[in-house]
Amino acid sequence: MNLDFTVFTFGLPILLKGLGNTILFCAISIVCGFVIACLIALCRLSRRSFLRLPALWFVEVFRNTPFLVQAFILFFAFPRLGVRIDATVAGIMVLSLYAGAYFSESIRGAILSVPKGQIEAARALGMPYLRAMRCIVLPQSLGYLLPATTNQIIGVIKDSAALSVITVPELSMAAQVVLGESFSPVETYVMVAILYWALTACVAAMMAYFERRVAAAAVATTSESARFATAGKSH
Amino acid sequence: MKFDFNVIVVQLPWLLKGAELTLSVSLLGIFFGTLVGVALALAQQSAISPLLYFVRVYISFIRGTPLFIQILIVFFILPSIGIDISRFTSGVVALSLNSGAYISEMIRGGLTSIRRGQIEAGRALGMPRPLIWRRIILPQVFTVILPPLTVEFASLLKYSALLSVIGVVELTRTAQQIIAATFKPIEIWLTVGVLYFIMCFALGVLTRRIERATTIYRLS
Repeated sequence: MNLDFTVFTFGLPILLKGLGNTILFCAISIVCGFVIACLIALCRLSRRSFLRLPALWFVEVFRNTPFLVQAFILFFAFPRLGVRIDATVAGIMVLSLYAGAYFSESIRGAILSVPKGQIEAARALGMPYLRAMRCIVLPQSLGYLLPATTNQIIGVIKDSAALSVITVPELSMAAQVVLGESFSPVETYVMVAILYWALTACVAAMMAYFERRVAAAAVATTSESARFATAGKSH
Repeated sequence: MKFDFNVIVVQLPWLLKGAELTLSVSLLGIFFGTLVGVALALAQQSAISPLLYFVRVYISFIRGTPLFIQILIVFFILPSIGIDISRFTSGVVALSLNSGAYISEMIRGGLTSIRRGQIEAGRALGMPRPLIWRRIILPQVFTVILPPLTVEFASLLKYSALLSVIGVVELTRTAQQIIAATFKPIEIWLTVGVLYFIMCFALGVLTRRIERATTIYRLS
């Protein structure tokens, strides 16, 4: 087996461009997915069944079917409805919905991890529901939310590779472009794998940094309230 | 726009055949994946540092790169080092290597649920290390990791759809072939989605059953 090193010099610029696209598409999908996930999670925690059940089915459908099949369905559904749509737009849409379904589960878990009395107290003081969620529940659930989200964000980046099948011009698609020029599949795909590896490692490091920041902030607040508590006792 | 139910009825037997292959490829994947996982977990317990280092890099690589790319690497690398195997086998190898890394992490977690005293008791009775693993550690670890193992199985079942790109004629590839002949993408893809949903949903129900049945083995 001979390694073809010329692929590295000529393929790398094409692959780096693909990597840039992957980062861009994933970033958009993660942001959109997070918004979708918040709505879904709140619907799933609702007492009204016309909100809760559709949200539950949305999550079940997206979690129990392959991402590839979801992408194909959405990609072919639009032309069928008479709407011309770019493969990239369809790809970002399906990735957002997919991410939303997965994120919503960890958001729901995070909300449930905060004791119920907290939100009841906030509501009793006259705080609107969404404000109570944002000011009371969200800061307390970050310690639970961040580690869960890290894995899911990395999952979204990895699953986005399948979008090349519906011709979205991301990193895996770039690999096929490189292969069209020179037939060295092993070298090309190993290079692609290393690029994905670097990307996911960066994301993991970034999220670990946020986790440490949140943990440090939590320790600071606890020690501060402890100081208040002891100060109160000494009086 | 008209929804054509007829094509679904006509093609369903072929799709079910594809679903059968999907099931068998993921079953083989989880079986060999478990073997790989046990091997990796054992290697992680060893004191040989190059081995430890290799396992750590391997798990990080598998977890940090898309399965899609791993499948393609396995598919292209095996013939180039002189191993000539079918697309199906190459797919099973890729799925096993991937799930092995995740399963070894599960086993590592499961190992913490075994009290040290049990291993010490085994040692005190003069049991050699391999026997302790076979008789004391692994049986308990497997009851603990059975629920996550079924979750991993469901996940493999979904990700086996990616094997369609290397031409394994499982459910997704069958669908592509049918669509090429009938030009009814929406009807066929929706049916395929429903078939995957049924399989994964059933596995989810099974997972919850096993979870309930194995709670007694868990350390509280």
